[in-house]
Amino acid sequence: MSAILAVARGTFREAVRDRVMFLVLGFGVLLLVMTRILSPIAMGEGDRITVDLGLSTIGLLGVVIVALVGTGLVHKELERRTIHVVLSRPVSRASYLIGKWAGLAGTMAAAVFAMGAILVVVAATMRGPESIGPVAQAVFLIALANALLAALAVLFSSLSTPVLSVVYTLGLYATGWWSSDLRDFAAQMPGAVGTLVRGISYVIPNLDLFNLRPQVAHLQTAPTLQLALAIGYAAAYAAAVLALAVVAFERRELK
Amino acid sequence: MNVLNASSQPVTPRPQTDHTAVRIKGLGKDFRHPWTRRVKTAVHSVTLDIPDGAVFGLLGPNGAGKTTTLRMLLGLLPPTRGEAFLLGRPAGTPESRQDVGFLPENPYFYDHLTALEFLEFSGELAGMGRGAARTQAKELVERVGLAHAAKTRMRKYSKGMLQRAGLAHALMGRPRLLFLDEPMSGLDPIGRREVVDLIRELKSTGTTVVFSSHILHDVEVLCDRVAILRAGRLLASGTMDALLEGGRGGAEIVLRPRGVLALPPEFLGVTIEPFGGRVRLSLTDASRASALVAWLAAHGHEVIALTPERQSLEDLFMDMFQDAHEVGGDPERSAQDERRQA
Repeated sequence: MSAILAVARGTFREAVRDRVMFLVLGFGVLLLVMTRILSPIAMGEGDRITVDLGLSTIGLLGVVIVALVGTGLVHKELERRTIHVVLSRPVSRASYLIGKWAGLAGTMAAAVFAMGAILVVVAATMRGPESIGPVAQAVFLIALANALLAALAVLFSSLSTPVLSVVYTLGLYATGWWSSDLRDFAAQMPGAVGTLVRGISYVIPNLDLFNLRPQVAHLQTAPTLQLALAIGYAAAYAAAVLALAVVAFERRELK
Repeated sequence: MNVLNASSQPVTPRPQTDHTAVRIKGLGKDFRHPWTRRVKTAVHSVTLDIPDGAVFGLLGPNGAGKTTTLRMLLGLLPPTRGEAFLLGRPAGTPESRQDVGFLPENPYFYDHLTALEFLEFSGELAGMGRGAARTQAKELVERVGLAHAAKTRMRKYSKGMLQRAGLAHALMGRPRLLFLDEPMSGLDPIGRREVVDLIRELKSTGTTVVFSSHILHDVEVLCDRVAILRAGRLLASGTMDALLEGGRGGAEIVLRPRGVLALPPEFLGVTIEPFGGRVRLSLTDASRASALVAWLAAHGHEVIALTPERQSLEDLFMDMFQDAHEVGGDPERSAQDERRQA
């Protein structure tokens, strides 16, 4: 456990000092300010749209962090052989990968929560204190979805090149929003093709579970069951992906 | 305080060993090309024991299999055949690396961490608490001459500074077994001298040091034992004395002559070289030295020194690699030869 924490802390420290993080965060804050400035042109719906766009911005920037930092995370260490420094210590490869994921998820969560805090303040001033709960819940689920995505980024990074990892991670992120639609689509397909598509729909992450924007629009908090389901799903999915990454990585030759 | 002895981490009980720090039994590694499936043998079956507290040199030209052997011992590469034990524990497991430090060849570390942060990180990975790791990190940056840059991010470090940081990293947690892959690489003469002193200091504390190097002089000065690899095969191993004892077979006598020195015919072939009022006699056959000394004494010549001509490690190394084509040994060619013979 201490090895996982040490790797996570090292990853977090290294990632937050990367110039990319400052650029992404700066861009995020700029977008939040822009949505606030432009809200008056939204024909009376400005307050709602500001919060909605703010949540989308935070989600997207979380994904950008995972894609930019996460997909090169393990690959960069393999290429530069900094991984030899870590794995020549009494650290298992499983601890290393889990630590890397925790560090990446922590980095992303710190950025998402920092931007989320700004959005909560903006929402509270525009729509009143009753918006604080729904917005905070939505930000939390965005962080959770991105943590799940971070597990996928670690998996791809330990098996593939950064460019391909970005493609795979973003591909799964994009399709993840359509997994329920994919299941409906599969039901209309004949035989084996339908079964295959349905199978794929269960393998890709169901990101719709983490979408609270409709509730936020109506200033409603999500039911506890939905939150529990999202947390359970994210934990199970991330654990399964990391287990797969560990199995693949255990066999990898670190030349 | 001696940083090489200082540690606040709990001492993990270590399995009983027969005073062997590293035991290698038939360890070998093949690499298979992912597309052509051709097999390259980087290390054939190497068998070797490194005793506790020894300074052990792993020698060989580029491609000899030194780094691959070290990586197999550390579990970075799974061996194709054979097994190894570090401090009595099966190599490749995290437990086997409990008391082990490693300096990789041409080390590269995290750009955005300072040396102090990196060493703290390294200490935590070695199982130290954060406070103890921080204290030892501060001591070690002093010890390796990096105190002035301890809080500078490592992306600004020169190659020599990275090498020093790597050495400090290897020493974090006070390991009882150290693997140093080309520790002198990238260091200036002062830095090299400091590393030599450091290894001597480690030896005095009972640490086993295994290092690979191209610099034969350093190996000769530091090591008790060496192993010489070529194209993945172990050519020779043993104590430095045993490997060099055969020597060149000659001897040298320095004397102060009384009058004219004229040697009798039985000492034909002895070279006479006067210098500064003295004479140096060189014999190609050391077994004749005692007879010559007796003759010189009997004839009133004052013998000042008798030195058997010792073979240097460089002589031994060059003898083993006489064929210029063999230097830089080609493992692939060896594997092909082996298959052809089979």
